[in-house]
Amino acid sequence: MTELEIGQEVELEFGGKAQVLSVIGSGGQGTVYLVRFNGQKWALKWYDIDKMKKPKEFLKNLRSNIADGPPDNKFLWPKYLTKETEDGTFGYIMDLKPEGFDSFVDILNTYKLEVDPLTGRAVKKDVKFSSLTAMITAVINIVNSFRLLHRAGKSYQDLNDGGFFINVNTGAVLVCDCDNIAPDGSNFGIGGKPGYMAPEVVRGIAQPNVQTDKYSLAVVLFKLLFRGDPMEGEKVVRDVCLTESSELKHYGQNAIFVYDPNDATNRPVRGIHDNVIKFWRIYPDYIKEAFIRSFTIGITDPTKRIIENEWQKLFIRLRSEIIMCGCGRTNFASMFVQPTEKTFKCPKCGMEFSTLGFSNRSYRMPLYLGCKFYECEMNPESEEFMKVAGELVENKLKPGVLGIKNCSDRKWRAKMPDGVFYDIAPGKGFPVWQGLEIDFGEIKAQI
Amino acid sequence: MNNDNIIGANAATNPAAPDYTANSAANDPLDFDDDPLSATGVSRKSLVIFFLIDTSGSMKGKKMGELNTVMEELIPEIRKVGEADTEVKVAVLTFSTDVRWMYSTPIPIEEFEWARLRASGVTSLGAALKELNVRMSRNGFLNSPSLSFAPVIFLMTDGYPSDDYKAGLKELQANSWYKFGLKAALGIGNEANDNILAEFTGSPDTVVHAYSGGQLAQMIKIIAVTSSQIGSKSMTLSDDTSHELGEEDVFAAKQKLLGQQIQELVGKTETDDVPFDTGW
Repeated sequence: MTELEIGQEVELEFGGKAQVLSVIGSGGQGTVYLVRFNGQKWALKWYDIDKMKKPKEFLKNLRSNIADGPPDNKFLWPKYLTKETEDGTFGYIMDLKPEGFDSFVDILNTYKLEVDPLTGRAVKKDVKFSSLTAMITAVINIVNSFRLLHRAGKSYQDLNDGGFFINVNTGAVLVCDCDNIAPDGSNFGIGGKPGYMAPEVVRGIAQPNVQTDKYSLAVVLFKLLFRGDPMEGEKVVRDVCLTESSELKHYGQNAIFVYDPNDATNRPVRGIHDNVIKFWRIYPDYIKEAFIRSFTIGITDPTKRIIENEWQKLFIRLRSEIIMCGCGRTNFASMFVQPTEKTFKCPKCGMEFSTLGFSNRSYRMPLYLGCKFYECEMNPESEEFMKVAGELVENKLKPGVLGIKNCSDRKWRAKMPDGVFYDIAPGKGFPVWQGLEIDFGEIKAQI
Repeated sequence: MNNDNIIGANAATNPAAPDYTANSAANDPLDFDDDPLSATGVSRKSLVIFFLIDTSGSMKGKKMGELNTVMEELIPEIRKVGEADTEVKVAVLTFSTDVRWMYSTPIPIEEFEWARLRASGVTSLGAALKELNVRMSRNGFLNSPSLSFAPVIFLMTDGYPSDDYKAGLKELQANSWYKFGLKAALGIGNEANDNILAEFTGSPDTVVHAYSGGQLAQMIKIIAVTSSQIGSKSMTLSDDTSHELGEEDVFAAKQKLLGQQIQELVGKTETDDVPFDTGW
């Protein structure tokens, strides 16, 4: 029984029945249905066990994943197993994707097709991040979810563009297709999606594991930021027809990064890879260097791949270097003019931005109306990269006066023009001035 | 504006860094669209599905009616197959006394509309294969600037060729797109010769036969959906990971997979056809 009929009921392992309402989609291993169970709507993944290499082991692993629970609420994790049918077919139910999330695939395509219920015609609708902060936040969320997964001793195995839903307004991320997740070192038959698979998996000399996840993660991040394939350049395009052996060559045996500093044979091609060419000019060097490392030395030496914590730090830095200028230009600080070591200037309108230097990092944070400080940036013990701890705002009673508001739950101290440090309680703020110094506790900052 | 002032921080802070930019001049942030959020869709790979359809007189009536209907229904199903990173296009070549393309160029599956076919004339398969050979080239129908997967070529016929099909096939066999392409064929009714079809596809695994209207619809769907699924995706991991894969391991891997899957699916439908009171 590989396919379920609409209206059919499927028994769950611990009692109750889920009724099939419609088909949501199908993939390599089975079909996902919309079902009703206990008066609520759920998604049911139903496997085609003929297409699976080790269905018994797969089921056993699924069962232990359900028992372990998700590493974090960013995962659309399997909830309940169905009862195995006589021929051994099984499935599981999970939460439905909440409203407001778009698939990573639609983000890469920059549009999605929505079917007009009246005419049945598909209409293209734009899918685009509403702000640069939302996009970089999504990147941080993706990296963080894999960090948590790997910390739990598991690997995702087939990390690819079908594995995420993202809210393009907030950068919130949901990791889906969690059914291949397995303890590091085990594999139940999944290979991965070409283009995302680590070269050693493509070549057949390794099975998916935490190290190959790291490679796939770098591909996902590259695709999200640079909107292209890190290995598809001149060398690949020259092949014209992508045969099995050319894929083995370009993604396995002889994978060359399009911006490999020591090998220019596979550069992006104008007219085909315009996104990559453009974005390579925009991102700051420390981001580009991380990708260069991932896709040069990291191809041959899996231990040299960037670890999630390192990615997380790089992107938290990148988020703090976004400047939203009053003229409407939003970009990374590296794309602004730097008239002095401590200031940035908009190349479009000429507006200048001061920066804050922190005692625990070498780079400076540009200040602009609306910029936010996060808990993990103020408190070395904190890992909370989503919790706003401070914000640059305009004083409501004194229009035109800009200052920093303490949104954290701890007391800060700030130096005022009279040379004295004053306590800044949660909810309070202080003006930004040329000699400003702030004491966040362990971390200090100054203009 | 003084150029010195608007040198980007990149160039200013790291003059010794390798030149990553496409433009070797100073990285002037204003000389290009530098909006980090404005991107075009990721460049997609393209896949052309060729349908070669026999419209000779013997297809008249039920067969043609069934074929037109199933093809109309099939298009939305194939639309779902084309994944985000693959743009699927369809080209239809009909052959009877003459050979004719339904449209003058392959049409993206989102926009494709089936034009109902009519049957009359003889079965010029050889001429069709020659025509396919001419169009299956970079200067012809496979002119996408970005990467292409090898095409899917699906032949449907109900009769014995009335011309020299061997001459046509010989020309086609020299075409690399044909060599790497995914080939499948459907014989319709008693007259169609499965051996000729296997010559075309290169193996009997990718040839199926339909004797009734219901079977015709089923087989067309099985072949078209399976071959476009396999054709629009990259190679997947081999079962055997005990040794490093070489070119010989992956050669024509997709064509072999197509043969296996078609045989599996056809096998399944055959057992489904067994009446409830037999086989006890």
